[in-house]
Amino acid sequence: MKKSIFDKKWVSVLVWILFLVIAWEIGAFIVAATKRTPENILPHLSGIIAAAFSTKPAAGKLTPSGVVFTSAGATLIRAGLGYVLGAVVGYFMALLMKLSGIVEKLIFPYLMLIQLIPVIGLAPIILAMTGSINQSRVIIAAILSFYPVATNVLEGMKAVQKEKYELMYTYAAPKWMIFTKVLIPSSKPALFTGLKIAAPMAITASILVDTLQGDGGLGCMLSQSLKHAMNIYVFWLIVFFCAIIGILSTYVIGWIELAVSPSKRAMNRSKKPHQPKRRKIRIQNYMENGGMENDSQIQKV
Amino acid sequence: MTARSRRSNSLDAALTVVLPVMLGIFIIALWQGGGLQALFHTDSYVLPAPTRIFSIYQDNSAAVWKNIWKTTSVAMLGLLLGSILGYAVALLATNFPGFGGGGLAVIGAFASVPLVALAPVMNNLTRDVSRVAETRSFVAKMLVVMLIAAADMGLNAYRGLTEVPPYSEDLMMTYAASKRTVFFKLRLPNSVPFIFTALKISVPASIMTAIVSEYFAEYAGGVGRQIRENILMAQYATAWVYIVAACGIGVVSYAVLMIVRGIIHKKLHM
Amino acid sequence: MTDSISDRNDVKIQIKNLGVTFTDNAGNPVQALTGVNLDIHKGEFIALLGPSGCGKTTLLRSVADLQQPTEGKISIEGKTPKEIRLARKLGFVFQQPVLFDWRTVRKNVELPLEVLAEDKEERSKRAEEMLEMVGLSNFADSYPGQLSGGMQQRVNIARAFSLKPDILLMDEPFSALDEFTKEKLHEDLLKLWKATNKTILFVTHNIEEAVFLSTRVCVFTPHPGKLANIVDITLPQPRTLDMKNTMEFTKLVAEVRGSFEGGSL
Repeated sequence: MKKSIFDKKWVSVLVWILFLVIAWEIGAFIVAATKRTPENILPHLSGIIAAAFSTKPAAGKLTPSGVVFTSAGATLIRAGLGYVLGAVVGYFMALLMKLSGIVEKLIFPYLMLIQLIPVIGLAPIILAMTGSINQSRVIIAAILSFYPVATNVLEGMKAVQKEKYELMYTYAAPKWMIFTKVLIPSSKPALFTGLKIAAPMAITASILVDTLQGDGGLGCMLSQSLKHAMNIYVFWLIVFFCAIIGILSTYVIGWIELAVSPSKRAMNRSKKPHQPKRRKIRIQNYMENGGMENDSQIQKV
Repeated sequence: MTARSRRSNSLDAALTVVLPVMLGIFIIALWQGGGLQALFHTDSYVLPAPTRIFSIYQDNSAAVWKNIWKTTSVAMLGLLLGSILGYAVALLATNFPGFGGGGLAVIGAFASVPLVALAPVMNNLTRDVSRVAETRSFVAKMLVVMLIAAADMGLNAYRGLTEVPPYSEDLMMTYAASKRTVFFKLRLPNSVPFIFTALKISVPASIMTAIVSEYFAEYAGGVGRQIRENILMAQYATAWVYIVAACGIGVVSYAVLMIVRGIIHKKLHM
Repeated sequence: MTDSISDRNDVKIQIKNLGVTFTDNAGNPVQALTGVNLDIHKGEFIALLGPSGCGKTTLLRSVADLQQPTEGKISIEGKTPKEIRLARKLGFVFQQPVLFDWRTVRKNVELPLEVLAEDKEERSKRAEEMLEMVGLSNFADSYPGQLSGGMQQRVNIARAFSLKPDILLMDEPFSALDEFTKEKLHEDLLKLWKATNKTILFVTHNIEEAVFLSTRVCVFTPHPGKLANIVDITLPQPRTLDMKNTMEFTKLVAEVRGSFEGGSL
């Protein structure tokens, strides 16, 4: 019983992927029959896979996959750098806001504002201001990672049970211990929630900055192959690569979270045997979330 | 004691407003005075003073509003259609849990696909929609927004439709309520707050998506494209007018969402 | 009120004319507690009993220095609650288990010892001891989320005892538990109390619980919260569950209940 539910989800996901593949292929057949250059509009998946393993050079001496991987290096390293930078700044900002009511009052409205502003729209001006594509990639990725981390961590720190502080108070614990023993560990899930939201955003931002200036990033190759400066299949490879990286990034953060949270691992282990009762789990979810609000996507009002 | 705490409460409320406003004024003054430019190691050409940006806006206000409308219409239509689609998928998933669960996982994956991968694909797919480049681009941009909005709405609405208060389903069962009744009396009202949770994320996301899609669109138009084109032509002050406009769209649409939410919550007594 | 216990001279906690006034959200003053006088002796088990809003928890929190009284004073061994708290002589058990869910059961019990900067060996030795005492040795490496409510509350109590406090303050610790678990924990708590000779203040709204556990029941009545009556519990020590079937127990319960009906409830 418990196994069948677990399997079912995967079966259903698989069915959906299969369904999408079939829909894509049907589309590709129609396009192939009616258009002169079908690979520009909707090529067969087989063509894209063939391009991925092709040894024919697409740009210079590089194969199509070679182009993707070399340009991905520049893009992803900058995205990662900005991501880490933004997360660290966001975390300390949240800590500072939690520490001082004045700082919170001063900054919080702007934190809210920044998430309503289409930050990616600022990419061109930041490129113009810094003049360096690498710097602007890092900065944009940092700005985008900064606010989900800051808002989620602040939220997490504010949600700490009042009694936990009171308990530490009855122990006459020094203030720094309240940070190390209560605030920082209890904000860990919120930190990872923020990181999960931020990861695809940082990657998107970095690729987008690439498209603004030719300097060999993924986005740059994307625009070039779109303009037929190289094999169009490079474009499709990049599209799929971006999609896979974007999806994987969330999973990778999830794995890292599990790796550093022994309590979460233990809970996952011990929860599985109880799973046959589906409704029980729902009730638990309901209680945990106070009946509403998606905890995985707190962007907060 | 009482009087003091009451005084400190009102002082607290005043500070909540006064402090950020003061910071805002300080930043704008710094910007106007050239301090901000020095801080970012740039000049008043790339980062023009607010008064200069405003005067450029006054000279071009008709064009600015036209572009604001272009971006907003794409974002809002995409948001509307995407939200409906997302809710429909959530409904489907509620009624066919085994099959729909996987569908939601796939939709969720779409949410983490970078926009830059979606936008050009949509451009290619919509090449035959119309002979007019403007219409083609409109549809392409809207489809991208739609996918993003559908993902947010689908995931949240599914939770709203299924995570009903404990035992409420059992209660409905004791009334021998039909599926239809369970939907209208229980699931639909329960999902309303979740719809707004989704919108809180997808309203700013839709605007951002519309702006980014404009970068890739065949037809040049909209606030995002104007930012880019003006920077390419080194007309930084004009670009800043559009940056301010983009921020304005984001803030105003979020404010509208909050007002609508307030009204609906009041109507439903939540 | 003139009885053998009040005549003893080893007063541990002296509460004199205590009053606490809050300000509610609208800014109006609310009298939570007024004119409380109570002497508590070393090794006593005091139950603070009353309906919600009678100020019993406010009194407990005032003793723990979690709440500042607006009138009167509390002195513990001649010192203020703050001094006693800073000397780490207080243990507080909340209604909720308040466990740190990212720590194992063992680490939760060790938490106060970490605050006291005890060395690692001493910490783990004492944690073992405490978990043994509450019968959770086998769960030392589990996480709180994996335990039942009753087990979590036992960890909570073990944690309070690991600090070896002089005074244990308990705020309705068993109110969320089922009757069977509660009875088991009652016996455990009484055993721990006898073995360690601590002074315990125990807040509850359950008359039978108050009578069964304590040496004296302090009855509080609300609006404004005040100490209405004190009933000496003359049941012999050690207490056993079958005492609940005795005439004497029933009489005491009736006496306590009577002090509500006679009061201004």
